[in-house]
Amino acid sequence: MILSGTFNFEGPRARVWEILQDPAVLAKALPGTRTLTQVGEDRYQGVMKISVGPVNAAEFAMNVELKDKVAPEKFAMVIDGKGGVGFTKGTANIQLDEQPGPVTVMTYSSDVQVGGRIAAVGQRLLESVGKMMTKQALEALNNELKVRLRST
Amino acid sequence: LPAEPRYLSARVARNEDARLLTGRALFVDDVQLPGMLHVAFVRSEHAHGRITSVDVQKARQHAGVRAVYTAADLGDYLKPGPLLVPPPPIPDLVFHACTQLPLAKDKVRHVGEPIAMVVADSRYVAEDAIRDVLVDIEPIDAVVDLEKGLAADAPLVHEHLTSNVAAHVVQRKGDWASAKKKADVLVARRFRYDRGVSAPIENRAVAVEWNARSEELTIWDTTQAPIPIRNGLARMLGLLESQVNVIAPFVGGGFGPKIMMFYPEELLLPWAAMRLNRPLKWTEDRQENFYATTQERGQVHDAEMALTRDGRILGVHDVFLFDTGAYDPYGLTIPINSQCTLLGPYDIPDYESEFKAVFTNKTIVTPVRGAGRQHGVFVSERLLDAAARELGIDRVEIRRRNLIGPEKFPVNHEIMFQDSAPLVYDSGNYLPTLEQAVELIGYQEFLRDDQPRLRAEGKHVGIAVTCYVEGTGIGPYEGARVTIEPSGKVRCATGVGTQGQGHFTVFAQLVADALGVDVEDVRVVTGDTREFHWGTGTFASRGAVVAGSACHAAAMAVRDKVLSLAGSLLNVPEGELELSGGRVYVKDAHDRGYSLGELSGKANPLRGAVRPGTEPGLESTAYFGPDRGSTANGVHAIIVEVDPETATVEIKRYLVVHDCGTIINPMLVEGQIHGGVAQGIGNAFYEQLVYDEQGQLLNASFMDYLIPTATDVPPIETAHRETPSPYNPVGLKGVGEAGCIPTGALFAQAVEDALAGSGVEITEIPLSPNRLFELLEAAKR
Repeated sequence: MILSGTFNFEGPRARVWEILQDPAVLAKALPGTRTLTQVGEDRYQGVMKISVGPVNAAEFAMNVELKDKVAPEKFAMVIDGKGGVGFTKGTANIQLDEQPGPVTVMTYSSDVQVGGRIAAVGQRLLESVGKMMTKQALEALNNELKVRLRST
Repeated sequence: LPAEPRYLSARVARNEDARLLTGRALFVDDVQLPGMLHVAFVRSEHAHGRITSVDVQKARQHAGVRAVYTAADLGDYLKPGPLLVPPPPIPDLVFHACTQLPLAKDKVRHVGEPIAMVVADSRYVAEDAIRDVLVDIEPIDAVVDLEKGLAADAPLVHEHLTSNVAAHVVQRKGDWASAKKKADVLVARRFRYDRGVSAPIENRAVAVEWNARSEELTIWDTTQAPIPIRNGLARMLGLLESQVNVIAPFVGGGFGPKIMMFYPEELLLPWAAMRLNRPLKWTEDRQENFYATTQERGQVHDAEMALTRDGRILGVHDVFLFDTGAYDPYGLTIPINSQCTLLGPYDIPDYESEFKAVFTNKTIVTPVRGAGRQHGVFVSERLLDAAARELGIDRVEIRRRNLIGPEKFPVNHEIMFQDSAPLVYDSGNYLPTLEQAVELIGYQEFLRDDQPRLRAEGKHVGIAVTCYVEGTGIGPYEGARVTIEPSGKVRCATGVGTQGQGHFTVFAQLVADALGVDVEDVRVVTGDTREFHWGTGTFASRGAVVAGSACHAAAMAVRDKVLSLAGSLLNVPEGELELSGGRVYVKDAHDRGYSLGELSGKANPLRGAVRPGTEPGLESTAYFGPDRGSTANGVHAIIVEVDPETATVEIKRYLVVHDCGTIINPMLVEGQIHGGVAQGIGNAFYEQLVYDEQGQLLNASFMDYLIPTATDVPPIETAHRETPSPYNPVGLKGVGEAGCIPTGALFAQAVEDALAGSGVEITEIPLSPNRLFELLEAAKR
């Protein structure tokens, strides 16, 4: 499954970068995230609950590793998730460009492999669920950014 | 048999329906035993990978879990399953047998392959505990596409082999090269033909009871072949065959994948029941059925037909690839069926066919109703359609010119069939079958009047006619025991399993005619090794032909006993006796005689001796084993309307003219044809297993895998012809697979005809509205 697109954050790149590296913020923003904790340099572990069509509230144990970091410009996220209904594996590449406003344009592209029961019965919906969750996450992060910008 | 049998060829209502329709029939999942535990399996989520660890500690501590087993726990029982059908003795044949371990060790080769077995107080608990089994698999690139699987750098499904080639077979009849030289026209195409799951109403199920006191193992199994399963399990478990009983009760659809597979679940439950000394049950869920029950899939054919200018076939050359899945326990039955059935009812003097079977990281492929015959028929029928167009000959006419004439039987095709015997057609009368179908569908009138008129109205209507043969009724043998009980009722036990074919009726018809009793008074028992333990099973459209002939033979032997005993008691020659209405009596004096029940009492006296050379009772056991199968044939015709905007296809008429030799019960023959056609329509336009590049099956549910519903299957018109087979006394041929064999080829021809002028040529099945739309768009460019 390929998920890619762009998203405009209403704020400067450095502040967007800061949010993207903060597990506490990410845990709040990413839909379905139950826990997310840093376990080492650029390494995170967490639990996510996802519903895809007939697969309801499936729990995934997630390992996330950040790689190829060039602050505040780009990084890659290597994701490895395992749960009772399947697995997910993939890499997301994220690029941030600041434009006047200031607006930060995020360009993301990810290739995620999904296997097991969730792939077998949820295939038809995976892509739309993936897109929906990405949109929700980015909007939540943008809101967090706006709150932070107002309070400083 | 009586000169005018009462039941043979009659529309006798089914003996078994009262039990089935009132919910009193036993299915495996109905088996409930005190103390029964339930089983669930941990299955691979990866199509291809190395198992680095399986941790069952947490699952074993789960409340309600009684045992968790992995490959490491199986000890000596961890052996690859048997090679069920060794390949036929074809010169220079290459075959690599790779069969599956009951639980994967070291490596997984398809999604759904079992890795661990959880036994718990309930299925709920077992399913919950599955999630506590931690499996680590290091993925390897999967082999999904057949051609890529043969590339030099392809990952190996079985690493002890040097490639993914499971088999390589060439069969020749005559000399293709000389046919090609003589040809006026050569038609060459590449064809893809895919199939899918068998989609039975009842999935697989196994229930087991080990009786430690009697040291007997009883297994209720949704198998088509209980006797081979009993014999194999006894051997593997170190028991006498007589200590093991396998019962295949009513089974909700077999279609091939429930044959004697020795599936991991079938092997593991008996083993675990003996260890735990508790009854066990496992019932497959629908998702498991999609990736753990065998299925049929694709072949890619590069085929060429050589013809004269007037449309006579000189020869055919075909090279194809066959997807055998991760293992090949069922040998080469499917590709050899494809290879043989391609010849169809046609006189093809020169034929060369070569195939490679390819291992892939997908579920194991074994026969599903039709068993590769579809693929072969598609190739020859589509080549004939292309040749007809190229030569300007009508589609029916080109077939007419090539049919084997009735004077040519038996026809020896000189190549080897799936039963390791040469492919010989025993009998047939093909031209009248074709003419009757052409007449009934109104082929000429449709082309002359209806099609031009409807096209003028903007309707895209098409007609098609396809021919096929079906090799049926192969050996080795089946048996039956017929007993007249003191009540006058008759019991007939045979070894084959039954999955809805109407065995309780057709076998009863044959027995009732032989003994002159009412068909309702014949109680048939199938698929229970306690009742009858010699035989093979239900497959290859052989139940009625082979087991039916055995029932007939056993009943005729009992008839002889009746005549002999009654003759001596009444002191009249046997020739003067008659059997009818449950009695045996003197022809000219009906009151002189006995009811069969009374006679059975006299055959089992409480005083006196059983004379040497005689047996007590009115009972006989007989066997029937044909040297080779009998070949049925038929013609399907269809009229469709295609909407080129939405690419949907509506079937306006569907007609089958079929010849399965002597018909025991026309109603049941029609039922077999109807069911087959429905599956054929599914294959043609709805069903397809979709795998991604990593070997993940993406549509493992009936939400996404479409099977035709009642509204997609039109009323099916049928007509019967009867050319009796000389290979059995009643003249029977099988009919189990006839309905679905030519359906894909027929559908393709009809859709192409409806879209004539659009440039669409159909060289693949299944189609779908999506795929047809793509073909229409591609043709516009």
